[in-house]
Amino acid sequence: MQVLKKIKSVNYFLLGLFFLVGVSVNAQQKSISGKVTSNDDPLGLPGVNIIIKGTTMGVSTDMDGAFTINVPDNNAVLVFKYIGYVTKEVTVGTNQTINVVLSADVSNLDEVVVVGYGSAKKSDITGSVSSVKSDELNAFPVLSAEQGLQGRAAGVVVQSNNGAEPGAPISVKIRGNTSIGASSAALVVVDGFVGASLPQASDIESIEVLKDASATAIYGSRGANGVILVTTKKGKKGKLTVEINSSFASQTISKQLDLLNADQFAAYQTKINPGYIQGPANTDWQDLIYTNGNTANHQLSFSGGSDNVNFYVSGTYFDQKGVVINSGYERFSFLSNVDAQVTDKLKLGFNSFGSRGIKDGVSTQASTGGRGSGDVISIAYRFAPDLGILNAEGENTSNSVGDDVDNPYAIASESIDQTKTDNYRANFYADYELIEGLSFKTTFGFSTLNRTRGTFKPSSLVTTAGGQGGIAAIANTKETDILSENYLTYKKELGKGNLTLLAGYSYQKSTGERSTAGAQGFISNSVSFYNLGGGSTPLIPTSSLTETEIVSQFGRLNYDYDDKYLVTFTARRDGSSNFAKNEKYAFFPSGALGWKLSSEDFLKDNTTISNLKLRASYGVTGNPSIEPYQSLASYENIYAVVGDKTVNAIVPYQLSNPDLKWESSYQTNFGVDLGLLNNRISLSLDYYNIDTKDVILGDTSVPEYVGFLNLTTLKNIGEINNKGFEITLTTRNVSTDDFSWTTDFNWARNRNKVVKLINGDDIFLDSAPGHFLQDETHILREGEAVGLFYGYEYLGVNQGGTLPTGTASFTNEAGEELFADLNDDGKITTADRKIIGDPNQDWTAGLNNTFKYKEFDLSVFFQAAIGGDIFSYTALELASGGANATTEALNAWTPTNTNTNVPSAKVRGKRITSRFVYDGSYVRLKNLALGYNLPSDISEKLGMDKVRLSLSGQNLLTITDYPGTDPEASYQSQGNQGSNVNQGFDYGNYPNIKSVTFSINLKF
Amino acid sequence: MTKFRYIIYALTLVIFACSDLEEEPVGLLAPEGFFKSPQDVQTVINGAYGNMATEAFWGRKLSLPLMLRSDMVTIGDVGTAARRIDHDRFTVSADNGMITAFWPKSYQIIAGANEAIAGAESLGLADEEINPVVAQAYFVRAYTYFHLVQLFGDIPYLDTPVDNLEEATKISKTSEAEVYTNIIADLKFAKEWLPDNQPTRALPSKAAAAGYLASVYLTMGDFPNAYTEAKYVIINEAKFNLELVADFQDLFDATKQQGQKESLFSIDFNGFSDGDTGRDYQGALTGIRANERTDGRTEIGEGWSVAVPSVKVYNTWDGRDYRKHVSLDTIGVFKGVVQPFSYFPTASALNIASAYCAKYTRFPGAVSLGNARGTEQNYSQMRYAEVLLIAAEALNETSPGTTEANGYVNRVRARARNRAGVLTNFPADVPTMSQDAFRTMVLEERKWELAFEFKRWYDIKRRNLGPQVFGAAGLENQTGFDPTRDYLLPLPSDELQRNPNLMPNNPGY
Repeated sequence: MQVLKKIKSVNYFLLGLFFLVGVSVNAQQKSISGKVTSNDDPLGLPGVNIIIKGTTMGVSTDMDGAFTINVPDNNAVLVFKYIGYVTKEVTVGTNQTINVVLSADVSNLDEVVVVGYGSAKKSDITGSVSSVKSDELNAFPVLSAEQGLQGRAAGVVVQSNNGAEPGAPISVKIRGNTSIGASSAALVVVDGFVGASLPQASDIESIEVLKDASATAIYGSRGANGVILVTTKKGKKGKLTVEINSSFASQTISKQLDLLNADQFAAYQTKINPGYIQGPANTDWQDLIYTNGNTANHQLSFSGGSDNVNFYVSGTYFDQKGVVINSGYERFSFLSNVDAQVTDKLKLGFNSFGSRGIKDGVSTQASTGGRGSGDVISIAYRFAPDLGILNAEGENTSNSVGDDVDNPYAIASESIDQTKTDNYRANFYADYELIEGLSFKTTFGFSTLNRTRGTFKPSSLVTTAGGQGGIAAIANTKETDILSENYLTYKKELGKGNLTLLAGYSYQKSTGERSTAGAQGFISNSVSFYNLGGGSTPLIPTSSLTETEIVSQFGRLNYDYDDKYLVTFTARRDGSSNFAKNEKYAFFPSGALGWKLSSEDFLKDNTTISNLKLRASYGVTGNPSIEPYQSLASYENIYAVVGDKTVNAIVPYQLSNPDLKWESSYQTNFGVDLGLLNNRISLSLDYYNIDTKDVILGDTSVPEYVGFLNLTTLKNIGEINNKGFEITLTTRNVSTDDFSWTTDFNWARNRNKVVKLINGDDIFLDSAPGHFLQDETHILREGEAVGLFYGYEYLGVNQGGTLPTGTASFTNEAGEELFADLNDDGKITTADRKIIGDPNQDWTAGLNNTFKYKEFDLSVFFQAAIGGDIFSYTALELASGGANATTEALNAWTPTNTNTNVPSAKVRGKRITSRFVYDGSYVRLKNLALGYNLPSDISEKLGMDKVRLSLSGQNLLTITDYPGTDPEASYQSQGNQGSNVNQGFDYGNYPNIKSVTFSINLKF
Repeated sequence: MTKFRYIIYALTLVIFACSDLEEEPVGLLAPEGFFKSPQDVQTVINGAYGNMATEAFWGRKLSLPLMLRSDMVTIGDVGTAARRIDHDRFTVSADNGMITAFWPKSYQIIAGANEAIAGAESLGLADEEINPVVAQAYFVRAYTYFHLVQLFGDIPYLDTPVDNLEEATKISKTSEAEVYTNIIADLKFAKEWLPDNQPTRALPSKAAAAGYLASVYLTMGDFPNAYTEAKYVIINEAKFNLELVADFQDLFDATKQQGQKESLFSIDFNGFSDGDTGRDYQGALTGIRANERTDGRTEIGEGWSVAVPSVKVYNTWDGRDYRKHVSLDTIGVFKGVVQPFSYFPTASALNIASAYCAKYTRFPGAVSLGNARGTEQNYSQMRYAEVLLIAAEALNETSPGTTEANGYVNRVRARARNRAGVLTNFPADVPTMSQDAFRTMVLEERKWELAFEFKRWYDIKRRNLGPQVFGAAGLENQTGFDPTRDYLLPLPSDELQRNPNLMPNNPGY
């Protein structure tokens, strides 16, 4: 505030000076007036400096962006300067009125970006940081801000864990998989609150993605996966602003599978089993479970500020009806920020956030599809199409082939799976300037998350809960976090340099309480899960408590010499209760150097190169990777029955593991920032290398006869390497008053390699649905990327007679599957398996073009992920014989149809073979949006400052060879462990959607 | 101005006092100082019982191979997991997924017993107070090693809890003979201290210890001792509250098992489970695919048609035997129509045309999951009928041709003549026989009486019946059977890598 006041007084001074000069010296002068607006805000920009080129004379705009200036003659050139916008020069000519539209400087180097525990000018940043702005996050309505991040920043991979399921968790990974067993999810910091959940996208001012160790080491043991720093919106000084944003979207599923109809299915099953009797119906199960979805999203915010206080308050309502019947999500939330400059030295602030989400789920991506499991999507594919919803007795039908499961329509419409999540977070801060240059900031925050999940499966779902008389359960979770952070910041000019020092202390305590209860045997199917006592048999209740404490000290030194040479040192020491007895404290240092070549004399006046900076950094960050109590010796309760009664029972669980410690990432980053032609072209290139050491692996080298229930001892043995290259390019191709065209492009490749495993032994992993009865589906192998598919190489159909050399079948019969016989023993055994696919993408990219013509704007956003393979369990199941099939089955091998790649119709084991590995590359038109701003004179007549309408489409076009429903497949990738190693599996995903959205945006 | 300064100082003091970062878990059980009373010893022994009643042991992973390796049960659904088929066809490799599951689970049961025994010692109580409790742990340890030694021969043998991992990782195998010696010592301790009767047959009594001693001696070929121990049980049958259940069918009716006096020791399931702990799969594994049959039984849903008797079992089993009726299902209901077993493959391609095992699907009680998974079935590990047959078999070896031996078999047969309350004349009493003929007869009697009760494979092994029963004339013609290899399973290959001192593996693997 003080600074602003100063600027203002300088302006008045200049104005006064000019007036004096004007009156006394130049009688020929003319007066020019006008208004300065920006291309993203037609309201007028206050405080824009307008200077007559070649002089020191100038004025600044008032609150409405209006100005009046006297110029000497028609040749005078006015220079319009405003922080955050591209400077513009206008020759006066004969004009009396000059209205100027400034365009936002997308690569503004004076822009201040948030870094951990502080902020810095973008031009002074030595680490690798990507910024995503509010308008990018809100290009189309999203349920969670993570979705808005997809494709917006190089090296940031965003993936839904379950297609377009309303309310599904979304994982954000920065620079690859840096772990195996621990989470690779980035740390989220919201307005300084470490480990918070992201607020609504519409309340976010900006997101900074911290990628290299120099930027993340300040978060120490939690920094290894990168950090997402979120700044929420604040009130601006001036007029009170009220904004209403509403959007409505209509959604359809993007693709259905082409399955056999009843007659085709019966013919197919008759080939497998000549006695097959065709059912009475012809049902397209996909049609029955899919519906048109829609989304409504409303936000009301008001904000403003005086000299001393500013505030921002916002409430949002989001309601989504999913594209699978009975699925949906509803959420209310609010966010408020208040900042007060209490005295010259003291600033206080408070921000709070609260939300309630209600998710109505349908079961998808089930971990097993055996009898009684209720995965709606995969069952819709596999369920016999010759059955109806009800059988002759009026009961729900069960599948007639394969495992006995209820029909998908019955499961989706009759089972209940509701999750209510309440989230509340409050954070208070005080910032006090102790002496000139030295300020102390303390924050105290509290967050709590309460979640209740209720499930009910009525007895009318015959195979799921018929024998149990209905099953109901409730699970409660309560997570609380208390965070206290205190730090000193010292700023000092030292000769030609600027020194900034930071030192602080932090304490965080996290508590998790969980309980579950359930019952079965209900008289009525109407009680849902709200009358567990009404069940004749209670299920075993559970409860648990975990507590974690982290105590940290951290510090940072920034030195900037002569605006040319930049140095940053950062360190954090974390002590965590989770860490094992002998390894309680961890230390994470980092350092970085920057050289602004463009400030050197030889480039200073170069008109082509407006910015050139070289960056290099190295540092260590950690991944806490240890669960509470994981290193302690323990017994565990076990369910035990003696004399048909449940009794107290415990078993030895594990020995203590006093040396277990966090995983450490050693990251090197080299970067170049280049701005050309007054930064109309700005380019950042980054190369990084991350060696993650002490990766925790389950050491199974302890013989099992030792007899602990937990067979694996965790050891810090593994090593993983990620290296990659990132390009971020922004160009302002055209920039005139009426028309502008901006391109944002980002591209990233990450190469990931397993460097070291225990004794160099392969680790086999299993992600197959339980009823597939597979043990090994993918592999970790030294020298290879993480999570490669592992199985038999499919070579087509066995045509009988002498088989080609090096091939064999499990059963040597014509029509069987033919595989590569790797060891040439004439048989196919487990020894004939090999790596058959790589789910890791070669590169990902985002390309956004924004066109603005007068009041219209058009945004075209493509996102691409190239080179990742997908293993489709869906395709495997649909080819297994014990299920419906895709129309591929019509081309199955028969003695008269031998020229085919599809083996004969038969029930076969669901083996992992290369037949079901597909290229999952895709290019997707993520968003196409056309916007229109009502001309300001019209909106003013309507009593509004701004009226904006937009029509957009999401996922309208996907270019891919993948034959499944969606190449963004992510079966079994939920949870910490899964997300690193279980990549590229497709089974029963909630489908992805295409949507068409209409939005209206009003500002008063 | 200074007042604000104080606010700041106050805020700073909100910072919590320095934490020592020690974890103090609530609701988590720490081994240190756990044992305070005999009840705590019992709780740990209960853990061992809980481990027995898991999918990885008796629920499926051990019990299924025991069935499949016998000549009484083969594979129905040939698309089922290879790890199962390999046991039926004797193509087991050292990484077989059934073995790698029940191997660690067996040792977890043993570790629980060892923990209980060490914990009991740490209490320092008088023998009379603690031994009757801890004797269960000795029994459990012997029971588990008895399975392992029969399956694997030489095995790693531990009888104390592991606290030094490095040492435990280097041990060598203990010879089969020594393991048997230890098993006998444990069972003798159990026999000495266990009470005559327990509140439930899920807890071993003195009779269970003696019965198992008889079985161990029989397996070792020590017939005099086998006879002595079996005889000890028989002469004390009243004291031990033992008798043959009148109706053979009731033995496999989950709703009637509790309180029956025939079982010496059983693994109980009560229809509930914590995941796979406490869940059995026999009903699902042995059930008929697509079967809708309910006729008075609980709605259990179709089976998986995995473990199915070959049709020769049906064809060679005398149709007059009530036990055949109890043990086999010959009809199913499909789309509302009753069909003979010849129709089963038509009803589902995963079925074979054979009579299916009925012992675990007919009266499984309430089931917690479809396909008769998670039943209330209790699995008797030793029935009094088996004790009688052990006595008969052993006595025939030491003194052939006794009426006493005949009498034991006849008691078993007499019960079989009770066809749900109607007395029939089949099977008739045993005539006087030669020693060889009696031996063959008693093994056949065990085959029918204990059909699908997980005993047959051990009988085949101890009597070297493999070449005969897996030959062309046997119930299953398994050309893969190799008597020099298949009487022992391979130790899991990864276990041999973890401790190379366990090498070499058993011959042929």
